[in-house]
Amino acid sequence: MRKKKWHIAVLLAPFLALTALLLLSVWNVAIQSFGYIPAFGLTEFTTEHYAKVLQDETFLRALGVSLRIALLSAVLSAVLGVLLSAALIRCRKRDGAMLYLVRMPILVPHAVVAVFAINLLSQAGLVARVAAALGLIAEQSQFPQLLFTPDYGGAIAAYLWKEIPFVAYFVLALMFSVSDTLGEAAENLGASPLRSFFSVTLPLTLPAIVKAFLIIFIFAFGGYELPLLLGATVPKALPVQAYLAYMSPNLRDRPYAMAMNGVILLLALAMAALYGVLTRRMLKRMGGRA
Amino acid sequence: MRKHRFLSFVLGVTAFAILLPMAVMVLWSVTGRWSWPNLLPESYTLRTVQELLFGSAKLPQLLFSSIWLAAVVAVLATIVGVMTARATELYTFFGCSAVQAAGFLPLLVPGTVFATGIQLTMIRAGLSDTLLGVVLVHLVVALPYCVTIMADVTAAVGVRHEEQAAVLGASPLRAFFLVTLPQLLPGILSSLSMGFVLSYSQYFTTLMVGGGRIKTLALVLVPYIQSGDRALSSVYATVFVSSALLVFFLLEWAIKRTEKRGETQ
Repeated sequence: MRKKKWHIAVLLAPFLALTALLLLSVWNVAIQSFGYIPAFGLTEFTTEHYAKVLQDETFLRALGVSLRIALLSAVLSAVLGVLLSAALIRCRKRDGAMLYLVRMPILVPHAVVAVFAINLLSQAGLVARVAAALGLIAEQSQFPQLLFTPDYGGAIAAYLWKEIPFVAYFVLALMFSVSDTLGEAAENLGASPLRSFFSVTLPLTLPAIVKAFLIIFIFAFGGYELPLLLGATVPKALPVQAYLAYMSPNLRDRPYAMAMNGVILLLALAMAALYGVLTRRMLKRMGGRA
Repeated sequence: MRKHRFLSFVLGVTAFAILLPMAVMVLWSVTGRWSWPNLLPESYTLRTVQELLFGSAKLPQLLFSSIWLAAVVAVLATIVGVMTARATELYTFFGCSAVQAAGFLPLLVPGTVFATGIQLTMIRAGLSDTLLGVVLVHLVVALPYCVTIMADVTAAVGVRHEEQAAVLGASPLRAFFLVTLPQLLPGILSSLSMGFVLSYSQYFTTLMVGGGRIKTLALVLVPYIQSGDRALSSVYATVFVSSALLVFFLLEWAIKRTEKRGETQ
């Protein structure tokens, strides 16, 4: 028995060390956002930085931008990703070339997706050229501005390109096993394919869909490259604004930057908590089975 | 039947939407001149490619160091994944479910927040601007994926064969390396693939902890995009994507091979 305990300790050591690193970072964000940075001679705990942040127009607009990006990316990816997953299953393309194709965007780095967006969606991009060739527009400037706009449409489109396939791949295994057994049974009992999908397959796949939604929401909410490369100069996304404040030569701005990071973290954790509550409820409704 | 047609259409649109931007990227990387409103470039050139490969940009070194960093992260993250999964799946102990839950923490703390929060600690520990520091933060990012993948295969493989080997006189380490490890191989390879891709595409964490001293493809690509040079950023992006896909498909091929071997045995 003693030997076993010793085994577990050794096996878990590297994992615990890395988790400690993460928790240390969270701890740093927390204390620095309350104004405690001894290295800069700041040793007084205060909530004034949060108060300042929450009254700052720039911050509030950045918060709005990031919430918008996260919410739209997560909702649209979840809906369209589920559609794609269902299409892969129905058309019997669960493996082989089509599945590799769907997995590809997951491998493509975000910065590269920004290149894609600029090549295709800018006013001199391929889509605008096609519109011109079709006679829909005569000049570049007539093509709607999709990138670098305050509504962050370009960044959202880029996230969708990456995350719709992610959702499809993430839920595929569960959705297939449900639709292949219970979904099939419902159809044999006379349900139409649509009805079987919406009343059997979809509800039973929901846990995986909600999890994918949460991952994407938090990722897009805290994402940096895409809003930096495809967004407007004003307003900026929250992580971009926070980094700007963090890099400020005035070290007194540091707690302020950390308060912004604190808000990002709090909202991400709030989403995770909401997820926890929702899945517990969902499990209860399904009779407590995982 | 109509629904089927609709879903086939969905797949068609998806395939087109995935491939088109990649094709345009490759096209831009060999474009000499491509003026409005032409649908195709007027002239092609290998000048940008040549300049990057043989010029002062030192792309080969950059590619090598990025792959090296990502490979180190992939291997270490997978080792941590194998060890953690072994502890949580094969032993029962107090706090087991807490460890399993902690495995998801890096998904809940955005990478930007994590990197910003850890920077001061890294400076104090002398790990800022070092490869080790960057490896450590990348490991945290890759952790949940590699641990999940390894937990699934470890639970599926179990310890029965290993125990048999031990009964027949093999030492515990020998039993693990000769019996269990080969069975874990498909999972290990997918974990390597995931770890590689995650580290390879990191931008913010590398920037924050590497301080610009640790250069990767992602770090170099971003300023090119900001400068608005489409040809150059497309060349970099093409190299970036194709190297990532190459590593991915090599590992995927290896997975298929080990799975096939497992079936014939």
